[in-house]
Amino acid sequence: MEAPQSHINAVYNCISQWLSPDNPDLKRAIERTVDENLFGFEDIKHQILALKQALTPDNINRWVKKSGFIPNLLRRKTVLCLHAGNLPLVGLQDLLAVMISGADYAGKLSSKDPYLLQSLIKIFEENRDLQRTAYDTELHSFFNTMIDGWLFSGSHKNAAIVENILTDNGVISYDSPSLIRTSYFSVAYIDTFDKETVMDLTEAVFRYGGAGCRSVAVVVSPFSLNEIKCEFTDYIENFWLKNPQHQLPTKEITHRFALNKALGVNQAWLNDFLIEEGDEVPPNKFRLTWMKGDFSTFSAIINNNLDGLQSAYSTAEHIGKQAGNIIIEPLSTAQNPPVWWKPDGIDTLNWLQKNLL
Amino acid sequence: MAESIPDTETYLFDPHVPFLKKFEDVYDFHYKKNTVYRSFLKALGYSRKHSFSPETIPLIPVRVFKHGPILPDGFTAELTFSSSGTTSMKRSRHGIAKPEIYEKAISTEFYSHFPKNDVIILALLPKYEENPESSLIWMARHLINNDSSGLSGFIQNDIVIDKQWIEQIVLSGKKLVLFGAAFGLIDFMDRPNPFESVSLEVIETGGMKTHKREMSKEELRNRMSDYFKIPLSSIHSEYGMCELHSQMYAIGSEWFTTPNWVKVSIRNADNPEQESEPGEEGKIGIIDMANLYSCPFLLTNDRGVMNKHGQFRVLGRWDKENMRGCNFLIDTEV
Repeated sequence: MEAPQSHINAVYNCISQWLSPDNPDLKRAIERTVDENLFGFEDIKHQILALKQALTPDNINRWVKKSGFIPNLLRRKTVLCLHAGNLPLVGLQDLLAVMISGADYAGKLSSKDPYLLQSLIKIFEENRDLQRTAYDTELHSFFNTMIDGWLFSGSHKNAAIVENILTDNGVISYDSPSLIRTSYFSVAYIDTFDKETVMDLTEAVFRYGGAGCRSVAVVVSPFSLNEIKCEFTDYIENFWLKNPQHQLPTKEITHRFALNKALGVNQAWLNDFLIEEGDEVPPNKFRLTWMKGDFSTFSAIINNNLDGLQSAYSTAEHIGKQAGNIIIEPLSTAQNPPVWWKPDGIDTLNWLQKNLL
Repeated sequence: MAESIPDTETYLFDPHVPFLKKFEDVYDFHYKKNTVYRSFLKALGYSRKHSFSPETIPLIPVRVFKHGPILPDGFTAELTFSSSGTTSMKRSRHGIAKPEIYEKAISTEFYSHFPKNDVIILALLPKYEENPESSLIWMARHLINNDSSGLSGFIQNDIVIDKQWIEQIVLSGKKLVLFGAAFGLIDFMDRPNPFESVSLEVIETGGMKTHKREMSKEELRNRMSDYFKIPLSSIHSEYGMCELHSQMYAIGSEWFTTPNWVKVSIRNADNPEQESEPGEEGKIGIIDMANLYSCPFLLTNDRGVMNKHGQFRVLGRWDKENMRGCNFLIDTEV
């Protein structure tokens, strides 16, 4: 068995090869994704740049150290990853965790994102003889292949449906370890409105049309929406000039705007996005709730919405503080998370070691 | 149609007046007198010149009542109903300007399925009783008070059923209609069946989530059939809400029909101005003419499906959990 550090180095070499500017496979994967209108070029570019920044040898070693994991321990185990398709490369952290663990990887790729992750898996396939990889966009390709654990991101309801399908088709048993992540939104506390903060907030809210679980869906601020509306809108328009929103909302959101208007609810209707004052966590994309309040309001929102809440962000003064049960992260990292970030508060590497060893 | 609709009770409930005629009159009235609905239409870019069909008219999301009662200009509420919910939840509030319209809607539809002189009503509505503004309790009380035999009434889960009362029902030759909240009926079935000797019909209403577990409607119907020893054709459902004057019933099945003054359409959740095809799931849209003095054009947050015969099924709440975050897109992915 390969020594832990040389295993990490080997994984890193694959990542480095994948991210190298002259990798034609990645280039082709990006082109196909854009051509087939699966994601916008700007969002893919943002994601790749964020990964280039995050996936350094130092950061990968730091992740392994933080999680207390001994790499390459899970030889002869197979982990099934069911990747979501709401953002480009959204399942990449799970793939890396499995590769670092030494387990065999079985990946159900999303039909919404079939090329990007595949271009990295192929490199692992070519370079890692001892670790097997299998992937497909169809779940039935994995039927009758017993696996040792599975990773899933989505809703509670869908997790139950998937579990039944996998059980009925001999992939898992009911006691197979599963890591199911269901958080779907994040919140931010904004008590300054300087240029850097507004730019970070714009990115945190509007990147990927607000589709990610790390995307900010609720802002709590001592400023009312009316106070900041004009300035905020300028930044948003500037963001959209550089990053045209790939997906557009359905007519349902126009009806929401119309009802808000009829009821006199404060709102900013940006045609492709609705910002409204209120106290509801918006369940769907293309909406932001602006809530006037102080830090205690922010903590209360967190405590009342723990089921579904991914992250809480703010600016320098509040980073590292506890709000409710959550430690506040920098707003600037909402769409650029470190490689060791913990979806639903669980470190995937640590979970694999604890549950599959 | 001008400022009000004359002889409202006769007009709204008259099966001889075509629905489309009522629809046009009521729409006209609301465009003129309902500030909230008119503003809603205007914000969508519509003016009075637009003509709509019942299948495509913009329906105002039912959450409008969370901001308070909606009443046309010049009307005040004589009664107010509020939805049930936890203290932290914003409740819907529905103002009733003319309780006699509410009474008429309740009686006309209920007695068309369960004739007044043939039934005794027993209401099992725990939890709802804790809400002094419950429309369901008001409705049950109205039906109970209408029974001149004096045998109808409310029941609690922990109350022993009086044997003499059962005997009186049997002697009356009438049917007993047990009208119960789904979760109340589930608890009720923990005790021995006290109604074995009576001719029984059961109407269940409300959500399927209980403190025990979630149960499908099919499972509940089968359990009730086994427990009460009655055929599935004697187990019915009621669909209503505090925001509506009218109720709908699914007689002996899970498929609801509407009274002649109500039109249900299944709307495309992404484009609520579009009707879904039969068999396609969507949000349940309701035009309730009896809501004349509040708002008759409503889009619920319930998931439903229509069949080819114009009957609809209620499939639960519109599940919004999937829309943001790492959506696995189960419908298309698996």
